[in-house]
Amino acid sequence: MIAEAGHYALVLALGLALIQSTVPIFGARWHDPALMNVARSTALAQMVFALGSFAALVTLHVTSDFSVVNVFENSHSLKPMIYKITGVWGNHEGSMLLWVSILALFGGLVAAFGNNLPLSLRAHVLAVQAWIASAFYLFILITSNPFLRIANPPIEGRDLNPVLQDIGLAVHPPMLYLGYVGFSISFSFAVAALIEGRIDAAWARWVRPWTLLAWIFLTLGIAMGSYWAYYELGWGGWWFWDPVENASLMPWLAGTALLHSAVVMEKRNALKVWTILLSILTFSLSLLGTFLVRSGVLTSVHAFATDPERGVFILLILCVFIGGSLSLYAWRASALKQGGLFAPISREGALVLNNLFLTTACATVFVGTLYPLALEVLTGDKISVGAPFFNLTFAPLFVPLLIAMPFGPLLAWKRGDLLGAAQRLFAAGIVALVTVAVIWAWTRGGSALAPLAIGLAVFVIAGALVDLTERIGLFRVPVAVVARRARGLPRSAWGTVFAHAGIGVALIGIVCETTWNSEYIGTMKPGDVTHVAGYELKLDRIMQRQGPNFREMVVPFDVSRDGRQLSTMTPSKRSFTTRETTTTESALLTRGVSQLYISLGETTADGAITVRIYHKPMVLLIWFGPVLMAFGGMMSLSDRRLRVGAPKPARAPRALQPAE
Amino acid sequence: MTLWFVFALMTAAAIFAVLWPLGRRGRPQNDASEATVYKDQLAEIDRDLAAGLIGRPEAEAAHVEIGRRLLAAADDQRAPPAAASLKLRRVAALMALIGLPILSAAFYLPLGSPQLGDFPLAERMRSPGANQSLDNLVAQVEEHLEKNPTDGRGWNVLAPVLMRLGRYDEAVRAYRNSITYNGDSADRRADLGEAIAGVAGGVVTAESKAEFQRAVALDAADVKARYFLGVAAEQDGRKAEAAAIWNEMLASAASDAPWRPLVQAALVRVGGSSAPALPDGAMEAAKDMGEADRNAMIHGMVDRLATRLKQNGGDVEGWLRLVRAYMVMGDRDKAKSALTDARQAVANDAERLRQLNEGLKNLGLDG
Amino acid sequence: MTRKQRRLTMIGGSLAVLGIAAALVLNALQDSIVFFSTPVMVAEKHIPPGRRFRLGGLVEKGSLVRGADLAVSFKVGDGSVTLPVSYKGILPDLFREGQGVVAEGALDTSGVFRADTVLAKHDETYMPKDVADALKKQGHWKDDYGAKAETEPGASQTAQGASQGVRE
Repeated sequence: MIAEAGHYALVLALGLALIQSTVPIFGARWHDPALMNVARSTALAQMVFALGSFAALVTLHVTSDFSVVNVFENSHSLKPMIYKITGVWGNHEGSMLLWVSILALFGGLVAAFGNNLPLSLRAHVLAVQAWIASAFYLFILITSNPFLRIANPPIEGRDLNPVLQDIGLAVHPPMLYLGYVGFSISFSFAVAALIEGRIDAAWARWVRPWTLLAWIFLTLGIAMGSYWAYYELGWGGWWFWDPVENASLMPWLAGTALLHSAVVMEKRNALKVWTILLSILTFSLSLLGTFLVRSGVLTSVHAFATDPERGVFILLILCVFIGGSLSLYAWRASALKQGGLFAPISREGALVLNNLFLTTACATVFVGTLYPLALEVLTGDKISVGAPFFNLTFAPLFVPLLIAMPFGPLLAWKRGDLLGAAQRLFAAGIVALVTVAVIWAWTRGGSALAPLAIGLAVFVIAGALVDLTERIGLFRVPVAVVARRARGLPRSAWGTVFAHAGIGVALIGIVCETTWNSEYIGTMKPGDVTHVAGYELKLDRIMQRQGPNFREMVVPFDVSRDGRQLSTMTPSKRSFTTRETTTTESALLTRGVSQLYISLGETTADGAITVRIYHKPMVLLIWFGPVLMAFGGMMSLSDRRLRVGAPKPARAPRALQPAE
Repeated sequence: MTLWFVFALMTAAAIFAVLWPLGRRGRPQNDASEATVYKDQLAEIDRDLAAGLIGRPEAEAAHVEIGRRLLAAADDQRAPPAAASLKLRRVAALMALIGLPILSAAFYLPLGSPQLGDFPLAERMRSPGANQSLDNLVAQVEEHLEKNPTDGRGWNVLAPVLMRLGRYDEAVRAYRNSITYNGDSADRRADLGEAIAGVAGGVVTAESKAEFQRAVALDAADVKARYFLGVAAEQDGRKAEAAAIWNEMLASAASDAPWRPLVQAALVRVGGSSAPALPDGAMEAAKDMGEADRNAMIHGMVDRLATRLKQNGGDVEGWLRLVRAYMVMGDRDKAKSALTDARQAVANDAERLRQLNEGLKNLGLDG
Repeated sequence: MTRKQRRLTMIGGSLAVLGIAAALVLNALQDSIVFFSTPVMVAEKHIPPGRRFRLGGLVEKGSLVRGADLAVSFKVGDGSVTLPVSYKGILPDLFREGQGVVAEGALDTSGVFRADTVLAKHDETYMPKDVADALKKQGHWKDDYGAKAETEPGASQTAQGASQGVRE
């Protein structure tokens, strides 16, 4: 009953989505408010049915109803409850249902909170959302139906794959999906604007918070995925330029650009046409990401669904939506009114520069990800484009972006004073140079570029702080005034500071980890001692332990530094005999923001064991940065003014500056 | 019945969601124009100001800016008059009332299984049926083996049950473990091969064929392995070879072997029943013979085949059958000499030589 | 600045950035891409020693030899040809004989593939796509039994035992 009700709810959601995607369009065409309002009620009902369907699938997994193929194949009654739940989206069918449920949720939210949207805009937006939803409902029902049944249900499910039972793997896909799907809102708004042939005042006001929300989820999702790879895969890497990772990075880059251009549009009514294009591109890249992951078209450590029929279906969806929206753009964009003017040196100009570099960087990732595919299709040659490619293309494009970043917030809208901004950043530059000098003198080994890169990161962070001190008048006015100004400072300004500083923080982590990471790989016997980065690690003993459904080899290491015992690290290796699977559980020891990392290899014939020990300086900053960025995003999102849509606040403190 | 009632309820709810806005009318349209957005914003600013969320100068500045936009918007566009298009509304209502149920039925009925109830595990554990007790047993044995993976007997018990339940990939693993912990045997190899073929949906893959070959190498008379080698040849499109293998099995088998009908049926399938095997009468006769007589008959048949081949050496299939027959009878010397004869007979025909060599390899001989 | 000049400045700037990016991409594509090969392709194409590429195939059963100090060697085959591979380091958890593998490195002068990275399949059912494609192309079980029997170590071993019996 639950299974069938869930199945039927999904079918009904498709029916409602089809109505929602047509009726409101006619309503808008003939100015019939009742027909346009159909969009709202159907979007809400569709959300209820889609979420109900997803809830049904979750229930089936939780109660281990193995009469459902999806549960039988991807669950097991002995799984811990949390993995029964997360197993719902750990497989292809379930993850697609999650995808479309999130889509329906976002559609429902627009319907529920979109009361002050112009009626026709809302009708169009929801209709476009319903187009996307219909396509994915069809995809699920036809090729990836999670509700198919077995008449004679087996007593036990098949999946107890221990590698996939991990909380990091369980949580990051929904985060990424919330990000991907969140961008569908700005896409729908963009297409609606193109259909209507004009951009309403409500447009920018709505698009920016939604983009921001999606961007926050995507940022956190990417960071989590990276941390998962770092501790779970056992070789200490945190970014592999794997196509699946790139698939999430591309929408992030485009989404970051969109976020910034939406600011210009919101505050200055400029860059309208470009923002529309970016909205379309961002969501297209999200769809592309879904396609790359779901069709199994790429060789990748993440790929777990490989089915050509599905791939072709998603490819079709991809072509229709991307091709359709871009054609619509080409056809209608000229009908949109051009926005306000600004000088090249201005806040707007800086944001354009930001967009330029972000989209170009995104394009290089795009080329690096899809070139191998294209080449294989065209010539049959198989190539892999790895880290060296991206280091040579992506990194050089990010350097000017980071140099320019602190200048942006210090420039005034419309026409800015570059020299003035440079003067204000003088302190930040000094700090950065001192850092470079100190690091140069202090460290040996590693790339000569590393201190420069850290200098750049420090410049970015200091620049963000300079922006803050300028705004609240620190060191210039009495403390009481500073406090008042700090309180009065719009939260979106705080958000900018945090997000920009987050980039610098992450960069420091990346540079330190890649440059001064030290490692030891070798065989050790009980009692052996090895030294890594000033730490002394003694292999205590090798013991066997029986776990609930695995046998475990646990190898405690005594870690000491300068003769002082610090802690014991216990990496282990688990073998699940019945599944013929081995997993490596690496041990991490956090020291400040640096980490020691031990993972085990094979045992040799003479009782020794191969071990990998890494010291990763500042490695935690890599993920701390994105968390800071997401926090900045949340502050910005919580800004009342964002919702009010009054573009003034950034200018009010600005007015004080020329007085200097 | 309850299920259909729930479906009806859900459908009604969905239809209602479409009809509801269509039925409502006369609501003043307060959200149709851009101006309302700005008015809304102005009201919001006043609220925020009153709540102390924004400062007065900012509020005033925002007022000014929004006011300017409000004027521009008022100039810019006239909201199009709301029009009630009754015809369209009727179409929409019809779509909901008729289209929605039809569409849902069209999608659900072929895909769904309304006759199946729920089978949550907890409930099923409480009321074990015949099949379920077997399943329970499997679950128990599996649990036991998770803890004692080296218990060969357990794997031995589990593997065939898994086979019967159709859980082939698990059966493969179980048979592998059984071989590891119980030692190699032709039976187990053959069973493993069958399980591997089961995973591939009945196709005898190279991997499963290797297992059958190993089984035959361990025990040349292993029935299952030989049968499946025949299936492999059949699936491979070499029906004659399949027929040869099966004919030979029938030839060397006891007359009351339970698998006879299966092999005979297979033989008919490849059209090989009339190959130089036993005519039906001979089969019947063989049934009534004693062990010694039967052996004599088989030997006689093999000899006849050998004589025929001496006269007409081009029959590669025949040679292969002969070699195999000698192997099966355990007569290695004769097998060897037959092999030599065969080589000589087809030596000047490269194509047949190749066929012969392949066939030999296939038989587990690479000469 | 007039409106037109501003626009030109921006368009010029954009084109400059795009041009630089294009140059970077083309440059990087020349230097840093790595081709994928199977042992058969290696034999056919005569890849010169020292040129980096990715080698994919199945780890031959029984070919894994562990040396001193983490050195390992194994053979990678794809149905008809095998290529010896040497590697120093820890093999991934999922590395197993008879399973798909992708290794990155270069051939040395003696024809041994010196790998610096070894990737194994990710879960129970996943086989690197390159490997799967290449194996499909090389011939399924259906294509040629003779070739298959030769390259299948298990099968050919038992076969040898039997034929010796015949010869004696």
